Amino acid sequence: MRELAERLVAWGKAGGADEIEVSIIDGREFDVNVRRGRIENLVEAGSRVLGLRVIKDKRTAIASSSDLEPGTLRRLVRNAVRRAELAEPDEFAGLAPLTPSAVDAASLRLHDPEVTALDPKTMIGLALETERIALADKRITNSYGAGFSSDDASVYLANSNGFSGGYSGTYCGLSVGLQAGGTDDRVEDSWYSSKRFFRELASPEAVAKKAVERTVRQLRPRKVKTKNVPIVFEPMMTSWVLGFLFSCVAGTSVYQKSSFLSEKLGRRIGNRLVDVVDDGLIPGELGSRPFDSDGVPCRRTVVVDKGVLRNFLCNVYASRKLGLETTGNADGGGVSPHNFSLAPGTSTPEEIVRSVKEGLLLIRTLGHGLNSVTGDISRGAFGLWIENGEIAFPVSEITISGNLGALLQGIAMVGNDLDFLSPVAGPTIKVDGMTVAGE
Amino acid sequence: MLPYMDHFGLSAEDLRATLVFALSKGGDFAEVFLEYGASDYILMEDDIVKETAESVGIGCGIRVLTGEQTGFGYTNDLSLEKVQKAALTAAAIAKGRYRSAARPLRERALRGDVARVIRPAHTAGMAKKIGLVRDAYDAARHFDPRIVKVKASLRNSVQFIAIANSEGLLVRDVRPMVRLTCVAIAEKDGRRESGYWGGGGRTGLEYFRDVLTPGRIGAEAAAAAVLLLGATDAPAGEMPIVLSPGHSGVLIHEAVGHLLEADFNRKKTSVFWNKMGKKVGTDQVTIHDDPTIPASRGSYNVDDEGTVPRRTLLIEKGVVAGLLQDRLSARLMRKPLTGHGRRQDYTHWPVPRMANTYIDPGEYDPAEILASVKKGFYVDSLQGGQVEDSGKFTFSVSLGHLIEDGKLTAPVRQATLIGTNIDILKRLTMVGTDLAFGLQTGTCSKEGQDVPVNDGCPTMKISRMTVGGRR
Repeated sequence: MRELAERLVAWGKAGGADEIEVSIIDGREFDVNVRRGRIENLVEAGSRVLGLRVIKDKRTAIASSSDLEPGTLRRLVRNAVRRAELAEPDEFAGLAPLTPSAVDAASLRLHDPEVTALDPKTMIGLALETERIALADKRITNSYGAGFSSDDASVYLANSNGFSGGYSGTYCGLSVGLQAGGTDDRVEDSWYSSKRFFRELASPEAVAKKAVERTVRQLRPRKVKTKNVPIVFEPMMTSWVLGFLFSCVAGTSVYQKSSFLSEKLGRRIGNRLVDVVDDGLIPGELGSRPFDSDGVPCRRTVVVDKGVLRNFLCNVYASRKLGLETTGNADGGGVSPHNFSLAPGTSTPEEIVRSVKEGLLLIRTLGHGLNSVTGDISRGAFGLWIENGEIAFPVSEITISGNLGALLQGIAMVGNDLDFLSPVAGPTIKVDGMTVAGE
Repeated sequence: MLPYMDHFGLSAEDLRATLVFALSKGGDFAEVFLEYGASDYILMEDDIVKETAESVGIGCGIRVLTGEQTGFGYTNDLSLEKVQKAALTAAAIAKGRYRSAARPLRERALRGDVARVIRPAHTAGMAKKIGLVRDAYDAARHFDPRIVKVKASLRNSVQFIAIANSEGLLVRDVRPMVRLTCVAIAEKDGRRESGYWGGGGRTGLEYFRDVLTPGRIGAEAAAAAVLLLGATDAPAGEMPIVLSPGHSGVLIHEAVGHLLEADFNRKKTSVFWNKMGKKVGTDQVTIHDDPTIPASRGSYNVDDEGTVPRRTLLIEKGVVAGLLQDRLSARLMRKPLTGHGRRQDYTHWPVPRMANTYIDPGEYDPAEILASVKKGFYVDSLQGGQVEDSGKFTFSVSLGHLIEDGKLTAPVRQATLIGTNIDILKRLTMVGTDLAFGLQTGTCSKEGQDVPVNDGCPTMKISRMTVGGRR
């Protein structure tokens, strides 16, 4: 990979490019889905994709190909150099300067040889076991099946500023989806575990039990009257809100004026309970990596400090546009989070629920309904109604609505239950005063 | 016709030999899906053509079916050795010996073409295409002084496919697609709103002269953003809803289409699985899915498993009448194929999907429908939705209006609508005469696969539905 990437950089320079960057991703995957005790589908494959970016006279052209024939690649490089002339000069275009990195890829623990060596029989067995445990519960009436997937991918990046580096990472995941109730009063939910290291993956029993509990707790829901109440977000729901916050602090959204936080750098955007960090260097986590797609070393960046917006997350282009420093978040042409989290507080999730006189414990949402330009949130919701600090009954066919700005100001309690189930993660939170629309 | 077998470098004999490999461990059916795709992209923002991109994808996906089970392998190395290795990977699902022979391949010639192309986008010069993007950009940028940011882009692609299966089918097709979209952001007194518009389909660049001009795409995006600057928060609670023609087709896509995809019914996870022939909606409701509409984004000549598709009746006068089938479900359910087996690309196997889904025109004058609502909510445009198998679905309104005494009054910003499909179909009390289709820019996601779709509907009234506003 190194040789191919460096050769293309040389071709590009010889062909007239001022600057050129080449990336190659080489991945292998194994996926199995089982349903009702039998394999439903089995996939095993390997694939490679190459991407390149050419800059000539500050004009940019990009290309990608899964056809790695030298003839095709030569043509793509040649076309890109020629095509660059059709774009217009952009003073902000250009590769990142070569910066020495203090990141030691090995200490990040991105690759687990055990994942690569997993036997298909073992993986199929884990999926079957997970579904079997879930279906043993009589309240479960149908199954979407259980799945196991594993992935081993290598990334290599070279550019004409002298950057040349690569790393490999593994991933494995176990999941199950379930239904409970009859055809006309169905409820559904799922659970999963995904890790870079096989030995850190949750057991079939843990995944199955959690999926069953999450599904059956929604049986026989009611609809509630439209009202303004506190909402308790389960960790998965806080993660969803954080994903939306990420899209509003992404440097690309900021310079495109498609974020309501564009002019808020250094200003208060939430109350003192809000501490948000993006960290690309936590060993073993899914969002960690040594360098980004610009070849810039990854790092830990404080995004929100006690409610004050401290940094936007940038690639080189957005950082130049905004006159800020790059944070090593480049991903393709855009920006993506590493391990992006809300710092945990001290309350247990139970204490948070007990503090609510009347409100909603939000467990799932349905639909889109996020607008980064305005910060508006409006989504279909499923939850458990809280009365006098106790879970009273499940609710569905309602919507929640509010604004991310108001939500960050309205966080009243933060739980102690942060767990990186996914790279964007948060603990349980309680938010005062959002609208629940129902009857 | 372009010499696309050249892209693959595999002969009919190679394909047949690969199918024999795929069935070497038993299995009822094997299939090779070859794909070569090329696309161009042009992006304009900050008043400049910021970048152009070219992308090439080539690969082959091989599946083996045995009963309800699917084995699948793919590769983007089309050497015969790697293709046959993928065939052996797919074969691993079966646990027996070679029994069903792969029949000799006979090529099926396709009649007609759903694509309507005079000036193909993939062979047109970049400068020509940049001109179209610039026209859309400029129209939005100069629409109103309150427009502060514009992004316009054009993407065109052409997909060459060849499908061979163990039943002896060999079919090839060429699928062109073009899409021009514009996002405009308006700002006033620190408040920002965005508007979106676009068009395209399985057509050529003449579309942007004859059907929808870049200037109109830019102006509509800008107009939507400016209108939203004056919009109020949506109301909250249950009320009557009137849906605009065309753009509201998303409702039919979410509330009905997905849950009549055969796989969810075969597995009995869909609320419709036991309702075939049963009345679930008002007499007003008749719904079809038609993959053969000329030039439409959701159309195709053959689906991604080689079946020639047909217009499929889903709901007739409120009664569940049909399902969208792929080969696997049709065989297991003993139903005829409808040609709705679709896949994102060679790295996925096909599953039942929608193409162009619409509700047939009804008998009401659109003005009469609006006049029948004393106090309610009018949906102008939508930005997508989601459904789960229980029939609970949502869709997001990007622009609406309040209805007061049968007339549209204040514009209303973003809100989510939520309901259960069986309830909503019974409350679809008025369907208009004015069937129209939405913007030719839609994409549908299912099980991690994105495919282009379109949908349509006339003006419609839902007597009661929950609006997720803030007031």
